[in-house]
Amino acid sequence: MSFGEYVISRWDTLSLAAAEHALVVAIAIALAAVIGVGVGILGHSSPRVRETSIAAAAAILTVPSLALMTLLIPLTGLGWGSTLISLTVYAFLPIIRNTVTGLRGLDAATVEAGRGMGLSRLRLLAQVQLPLAWPLILTGIRISTQMVIGIAAIAAFVDGPGLGNQIFEGLSRLGSVNSLNATLAGTLGIVVIAVLFDLFFFAVRHLTTPRGLRVRP
Amino acid sequence: MFDRDTDGVRIELRALTKHYPGQPAPAVDNITMDIPAGELVVFVGPSGCGKTTTMKMINRLVEPTSGEIRIGGKDVLSLDPDELRRHIGYAIQQVGLFPHQTVAQNIALVPKLLGWPQAKVDARVEELLALVSLEPSTFRDRYPRQLSGGQQQRVGVARALAADPPVMLMDEPFGATDPITREHLQNEFVRLQKQLRKTIIFVTHDFEEAIKLGDRIAVLREGSHIAQYDTPAAILSDPADDYVAGFIGQDATLKRLALVRVSDISIADPLPDLALPQVTAEASLREALDVMLAHGSDRCGTPSGVLTYAALCAAVGSRPEEAVSGGDVR
Repeated sequence: MSFGEYVISRWDTLSLAAAEHALVVAIAIALAAVIGVGVGILGHSSPRVRETSIAAAAAILTVPSLALMTLLIPLTGLGWGSTLISLTVYAFLPIIRNTVTGLRGLDAATVEAGRGMGLSRLRLLAQVQLPLAWPLILTGIRISTQMVIGIAAIAAFVDGPGLGNQIFEGLSRLGSVNSLNATLAGTLGIVVIAVLFDLFFFAVRHLTTPRGLRVRP
Repeated sequence: MFDRDTDGVRIELRALTKHYPGQPAPAVDNITMDIPAGELVVFVGPSGCGKTTTMKMINRLVEPTSGEIRIGGKDVLSLDPDELRRHIGYAIQQVGLFPHQTVAQNIALVPKLLGWPQAKVDARVEELLALVSLEPSTFRDRYPRQLSGGQQQRVGVARALAADPPVMLMDEPFGATDPITREHLQNEFVRLQKQLRKTIIFVTHDFEEAIKLGDRIAVLREGSHIAQYDTPAAILSDPADDYVAGFIGQDATLKRLALVRVSDISIADPLPDLALPQVTAEASLREALDVMLAHGSDRCGTPSGVLTYAALCAAVGSRPEEAVSGGDVR
C-alpha cells in the first residue's frame, strides 16, 4: 500500500488523532498562557517572584518528557490528564520570560507619565503596559506552542491523545506492513499541525498588535 | 479638587524632606517655599541637586519622608495620590507619550479619567492641538512614532494641559529638542502662560531657559537647599553668593538686557528716524544692542522714537562712562 492509499484508508483514525493532538496542545497552551502571563505580571514588579518562577520553569524543562509523564501516572492516571499537565508546565518558561521581559523593557518615561497623570497601577497595566508588551508576550506563547506540539507526540507512551500513537505504533512494528506509512503519517501530521498553528499566530499577531506600534515613522 | 479649579492656585512647601533609605544625606533637605498662584517658578540647579525629587513630591510620585505640601490650602498628603495627579498637569523631558494611542487619545487620557462626556473631550482635543500650534485635522489621528521630537513635546504639553489643571509640573519639557526647536517652543510657551496663568513648577538646569520663562527662579544647591529665590531681574542684578553668580555666568548685564523689551522703557527722543537701523517694539534691549553693534552706531530706530546707547545703560542702572570704561555695571 502506498503512503497515499494508507492515508485515505485510515483517514478517520488519522484525522481524529490529529484533531486530538491539536486540541490537547491548544488547551495546554491556553492554560499555560493564563497562568504564565499572570506569573509574569507578578514577576515584573517583584524580583523574588521573577527569579523563583523562571528558575522553576527552567528546571521543569530539564526533566525528560517521558519521565515527567510517567511520574504523573500515579497522580493523574493514564491519558489526557497527565498529558495536559506535562504539556502545560513545559510551556511555562517562554511565556513567563517574555511577559517579564516585555513589561520590564517598556520605556520608563511612558510608565512614569502614566503614573504622573493619575492612572492607577491596574489601569496602567491594562491600558498601557500589557498592550505595549503584547507582541513579545505573543511571541513567547508562539514559541511554547511549537515546542509543545513536538512534546505531545510522547504522550502516546502514557496512552495520551494525538499523532504520537501512529509514530510509535509504526516504529514498534518496523519492517512489517504499513509500519513506515504509520510513522510517516504521524510525523507529517505533526508538521502540518505546527505549520497551521504558526499561521494562526501570524494572523493573531497581525490583528492584535496595536496599530501605533506597526506604523512607520 | 482645589479651590479654584482652572486658574493657578498657591503651592506651599513646608520643611519638605526626602531621605532615601541607605543614603547618608537626604536628597531633599528641609525645603520651605511658597509658590504664588498663577506664577511660573523655575527650579534651577546642577544634576542631582534634588530639584526633580522636590517636584515629584508635589504629585507624590516620590513620597516625602517628612514635611507638608499644600496646594490651594489643601493638604496634598491626605489626598488619594491617583486622584491628586489627575488635577496636576505633568510633562517630562522624555515626553512618555503612549505609542499605541493616537495623539487625540493621548491628550484625552486625563479628561476621560475624570469622566468628561465624549463631545467635550473631542472639543478639548481640538482646542489644545490648536493651542500648541498643531493642525488638529492633520495630527489628531497620528501616532507618536509619526511625529518629530518637537511635535511630540508639544503633544506632551497639550496632554499635561488637557484637563485644565490649576497646577503644572514640568521637568525639562523642552530638553530633548534641538536648540532651534527649543527656542521656538519656549517662545510659544511664554505666550501660552500669559494666557493661562497656571501655577507652574518648571525644572531645568539651563539658566537661560530659567530667565526666559520664570516669573521667579529658585536656584538650588545640593540637597535642594535654596541658594536664592527671587525674580530673574533681581537674581541677575544682585546674586546672593558666588554659587548663584557662577550659575549666571559672566554676562549678567546682557542677560538683564534680554529681559527688557523696547516697548518697556520710555524713550527720550520720540521722533522716529527711519535713516537709523530699526528694531521692533517687541524686540529685547539685547537685540537692540546687537543691532547697534552690528551697525557701529550708538543709536537705533524704534516705532516710538530713537533708542540710544545711554538709554540702554540707564535701563540696567549704569552710567555710560562707567560701562564703557569696563567698570562695575551693576
